[in-house]
Amino acid sequence: MTTISSTSTSSFYTTAAEQLASLQQQVGTVDNSISSGNQFTAASDNPEAAAQMRMMQLQDATASVDTASANKATANLQLADASMTQMVNDINQAKTLTTQAATGTLSDAQRAAIGTQLSQIQNDLLSLANARDANGNALFGGGVTGNAYTTDANGNVTYGGAATSQTLAIGGGQSVQTSLTGPEVLDMTDAGGNSTNVIDTIGSIATALKAGGSAAQTAAQNGLTSLSNGLDAVTTAQTVIGSRESWITLNTQNLTAQNTVRATEESQVGDTDVSTAAIKLQQLTTALQASQACFVKLSSLSLFNDIGN
Amino acid sequence: MTSNLLAIAASGATAAEIALDITGQNIANASTDGYVRRSANNVEVASASSWSTANDVSLSGVTVSGIVRNADSFLQSEARRTGSDTAQATATVSGLTDVESAVENSGVFTAIGAFQNSLTSLAQNPTDSSARATVIQDGSTMASSFQIAAQSLSSTRTGLQGEVTNGVSQINTLTTQLAAINTQLSATAGASSNASDVTTSDRASLMDQRDSLLDQISQYANIATTTQTDGSVNVNLGGVSGPPLVTGTTTNTLSATTNSDGTESLTVGNAAVTLGGGSIAGNQAALTKLNQTSTNLDSLASSIATTVNTQQANGADLAGATGAALFSGTTAATISMATTSGSAIATAAGGSAAKSADTTNLTALTSALGTLDPAGTMNTILTDISGSVQSATTTQTTLQTLSSAAASSLSSQAGVDLNTEAVNLVKYQQAFQASGKVMQTANDIFTSILNLTST
Repeated sequence: MTTISSTSTSSFYTTAAEQLASLQQQVGTVDNSISSGNQFTAASDNPEAAAQMRMMQLQDATASVDTASANKATANLQLADASMTQMVNDINQAKTLTTQAATGTLSDAQRAAIGTQLSQIQNDLLSLANARDANGNALFGGGVTGNAYTTDANGNVTYGGAATSQTLAIGGGQSVQTSLTGPEVLDMTDAGGNSTNVIDTIGSIATALKAGGSAAQTAAQNGLTSLSNGLDAVTTAQTVIGSRESWITLNTQNLTAQNTVRATEESQVGDTDVSTAAIKLQQLTTALQASQACFVKLSSLSLFNDIGN
Repeated sequence: MTSNLLAIAASGATAAEIALDITGQNIANASTDGYVRRSANNVEVASASSWSTANDVSLSGVTVSGIVRNADSFLQSEARRTGSDTAQATATVSGLTDVESAVENSGVFTAIGAFQNSLTSLAQNPTDSSARATVIQDGSTMASSFQIAAQSLSSTRTGLQGEVTNGVSQINTLTTQLAAINTQLSATAGASSNASDVTTSDRASLMDQRDSLLDQISQYANIATTTQTDGSVNVNLGGVSGPPLVTGTTTNTLSATTNSDGTESLTVGNAAVTLGGGSIAGNQAALTKLNQTSTNLDSLASSIATTVNTQQANGADLAGATGAALFSGTTAATISMATTSGSAIATAAGGSAAKSADTTNLTALTSALGTLDPAGTMNTILTDISGSVQSATTTQTTLQTLSSAAASSLSSQAGVDLNTEAVNLVKYQQAFQASGKVMQTANDIFTSILNLTST
């Protein structure tokens, strides 16, 4: 005598239900990962990958702040660069005028006229030194509110800004000073070996020229050496600004490359591999259909169908 | 002896009828939970000869001595044990998943990142009021998300404690019922044979109820059982060496106490119980993990507040005053922004003038937070929980397979197979018909003997 099934009827149904439910759940999981595009629905599906994803997403957010900081630094450096180009032009113009004043053929009146022009240049330089940064603060004053330089009763300028310029973190553990302080740009040594600044130097030449006499020509001759020193100071400072700009560009390129690498990794770690998932879905649905067919076939096999007629 | 043949046939017909009844009962209860397949125990009746004659033949037919309850106690206890383990794993997974979603959905991790980033952004324009407002806003979002996490954890804790309390009261109800069943089993023990499986239909039904109660108790806590000769059962909670829960007809009450850290302890009388299975053990495990997570969150929230506040005190705010504390509170549940004014952020070095664009203190603050690495700590906390959920899920899957297998082998041994019953139905129907035929034969023989005497 043979029996169709060695197990009890209720356990046959329980087992069939468990198997079908398990397959159904797997189909659901794969389906969900395909439609959402995410490989995992909860962090507990793969804690390692979830931790990686979290940190990478945090780095993405940090990177966007760093990019904004780099842009801000670049903007300020470009403003400083432009101001300093203007300063160089002014100093060159002052040199030309002083060269004229140094020749012996000019009259006192002509030297006084040149002195007036130099005063104009002095004012222009002062306003350039008091330029504003992207935030509306003193560009060459370390970011203080208001002016970097103030003029005293004698017409000399005094630096009132911060001792150093502002530093901004631009990502990758790097930071950059977004400008230079006034003294870093304008401080110089005059022909007499005294420490002074470009604005005062031009001011004193202008005063001497306006005063006239033989001293005016001597002042102009000495002033030429001083102005050359001043030009050196400003152009050196401008080189520093230029190299900072290219340093930021380099760092930004580096960050962009890291962003690309991170995006690729995020995709690898967290995104669904659609082709693999689709094949798995096909495999699972085939198994599910086969199991359902088996269940229908087996459950219809009962001795009660065949006896008692 | 034709009258004897008639008696034999009658006993056969009765036995077949009882067997048919049992088959019918089995078919009717094929889907009843806890029903164990019965069968009739037929015994040959051979009365001793009154004359001590050698080779005497004295046959008296068959009798049904009782009902056999086809339960294998090993398979039963195995199914109960694995079921208990699975219930524990399931409760652990469900509790830990709640903890995981409570912490993850609160968005603490993202909020910490946003707060740090807005501080970094503030360096771009330290005197800008909107940048300062963003920092305050992100700070208060972070504080709120800590609070949300703490609240979610707290309500998860309440839920888990409720499940423990509910499980304990269920166990107490079930043990009372079991003691009642024990009483009845002891009372009806008298005539039936204690050692064998043969019993009365009443006792078989009581034993079904007894086993079903044991199954239910083991869903809440792992138990060790000792079956007495009268069929009653003694239960020890938490294993063989655990305190007795049911001894014969007396029960001991299980009670749960909430500890100061929110975890639950169990006692029977004065004896502490450590469970190794059942849903209560799972709830307890989840509560322990929840407590650890909650402590970690508290210390993270506190360390962020301390770091920010300490650094604040070293700097000068927008008004030129020494920076005041930005955060108040020392736990995840109590942390909050102490100010709503963006100018309170001390970005400048201590002693700076009002509206200073100096970022010395801000840089120090961002670097102190960078060293503290709260996002990294939060990531570790989250990974820890999700790792626990993952390993608990793996354990649960394994135990589920084991308990399904145990339940399946118990069911194939003790459960009803309709096909077997169909065969029995035919078999006993034929036996009944055959006994009828025997009666007819006895009648024919008797008639022919009557005819003999009349002629």
